[in-house]
Amino acid sequence: MERTLRAYIWPTLAYLVLLEVMLAAAILYWPNFEENVGALKAMAPIDMLKDMVDTLAQGGIEAYVTGQHFFKGCNTLGTAAAALFAAGAVAGEVHRGTLEILLARPFTRRRLLLERWIAGALALTVPVLLTTLTVPWLLTFVDSEMELAPLMLCALHQCAFLLLFYALAFLLSCLMDNPMAVALIVLFFSILEFAIYLVKVVTHSSVYRLADVEVFMKVMLREELDWSQLIPMLAVIAAALAASLAIFQRKLP
Amino acid sequence: MRAETAGTGDGPQATAGGGAAELRGAVRVRGLTRRFGEKVALAPLDLDVEPGRVTGLLGPNGSGKSTLMRCLVGLVPRHGGQVWLDGVPLEGDGVKVRERCTFTPGELSLYPRMRARDQLDWLVAGRGREAAERARAIAEDFDLPLRQRVHTFSHGMKRQLLFAAALGPRVPVRLLDEISEGLDPNKRGVVLEKLLEDVRGGTTVLLSSHHLGEVQRICDRMVFMRAGEKLNEDTAAGVASRARRLVRMGFEEGVDLGAVERLARAAGAADVRIDGGRCVLQLAEEDLRPTLRRLLEGPDFPRPLRLDYGELSLEELYRELYGEEAV
Repeated sequence: MERTLRAYIWPTLAYLVLLEVMLAAAILYWPNFEENVGALKAMAPIDMLKDMVDTLAQGGIEAYVTGQHFFKGCNTLGTAAAALFAAGAVAGEVHRGTLEILLARPFTRRRLLLERWIAGALALTVPVLLTTLTVPWLLTFVDSEMELAPLMLCALHQCAFLLLFYALAFLLSCLMDNPMAVALIVLFFSILEFAIYLVKVVTHSSVYRLADVEVFMKVMLREELDWSQLIPMLAVIAAALAASLAIFQRKLP
Repeated sequence: MRAETAGTGDGPQATAGGGAAELRGAVRVRGLTRRFGEKVALAPLDLDVEPGRVTGLLGPNGSGKSTLMRCLVGLVPRHGGQVWLDGVPLEGDGVKVRERCTFTPGELSLYPRMRARDQLDWLVAGRGREAAERARAIAEDFDLPLRQRVHTFSHGMKRQLLFAAALGPRVPVRLLDEISEGLDPNKRGVVLEKLLEDVRGGTTVLLSSHHLGEVQRICDRMVFMRAGEKLNEDTAAGVASRARRLVRMGFEEGVDLGAVERLARAAGAADVRIDGGRCVLQLAEEDLRPTLRRLLEGPDFPRPLRLDYGELSLEELYRELYGEEAV
């Protein structure tokens, strides 16, 4: 497990730093946003973006931070990271021709797959949790404050959403032999879903509705996780993992 | 799923006619089959690899050698038959079998970005610290630059790294697929010497190779395969004896080779094979002279243009078994 985790160190660090830089930049921009919200709304090219600016303005610093950090930062970078971490997990081994030496060692296939799955999942979610921990400290630079507990609940919801992408990308990696193709499929899917999110009449059918500002604001206000959304997400993650295990069990080198 | 449960119902005693203790260090295969779609990669195959001996698998490309090895360690699930390795039946995904052996694949694919030292540790992961130290010592004997990344290694260096990893763990059985492919003669000699040293310590080796000189040098027993079937199996001495009893005759065009075959059998040849314009006789006795005299002095036997007999190299024997295209 330790060796498997080590393979994720550099990409995870890069992902963590980028998330933190985006978060810090967004928080430091908060006073400007508050001042210029009217102009920003006028500049927004589509209705959905105008509504989003409205929501952020009305929800105050809480809506702004969750929107910037989770909806914008984690959803974009996190989806890319999910594709990156999952794509090579099995398809990369097949593509490189190293699946045979991987399987020839005295470990069960179940163990090999779970180690990879868990290592990638940690690499994907730990930066989300760590960067969220820095929010209260960053807010002190703009004379604002937020409680950490509801923020961490939002971070957990975000992790579940990213794991959903990750688990499906991992399943594709078990099914396919080309990691680049897996990554491109996941990225294409996420861009398509984001495009659907931005179209008002079909926005409700986008998967990004599971992790947008409205969802995070609900968690912040209630100070509890939204199980009605979490349970289906966790069920899909578990099903995708079970399918990955079953496929990997029969994978030929 | 039948394959996965095939080994669980009957113990080695019941099916293979031997106790688990008797199978210690041995590899026993009974009725092993594997198909890839319509293609039969392994026809029902029986094989016994004796403990503490080197058994060589010989055969042209696509004869099933690599598939057999992959099946033995559970990398490729079998469709039928049973396998025991060191007395342990192959079950589930084969982890219990892999704990008792090392397997070196013929395909030479490693992690290019890893340092050689880390790659070596990775290859022997789960085998204990001693295995890692031993593997490192073997790699250092080969003068491999273990601090360099694997992508800077030549083909031969990668092969030696895999070999060091295969020899590191102290396990009763080693399955080695093309271990010396791509090595220069000096390195090949060192590799084989190290392998023989390991075998002298009691390890069982099943080796697949296209390098006939290597097989001739180190194998106690040879198994010839073709199209997923075991064509022939013999001890090294038996193969040598067989090679000495082969006579090859070339005839003029138009000679009735059917008649040659009939006459040869009548004269006492154990086996006769017509190959193009040639006739290959397998005689029963080591002393070829009486049979040859009987044959050549016969009034109806056509006069051969060419006649070869005596010591045959393994390569020539291989050619006789598989035909020209296999060599």
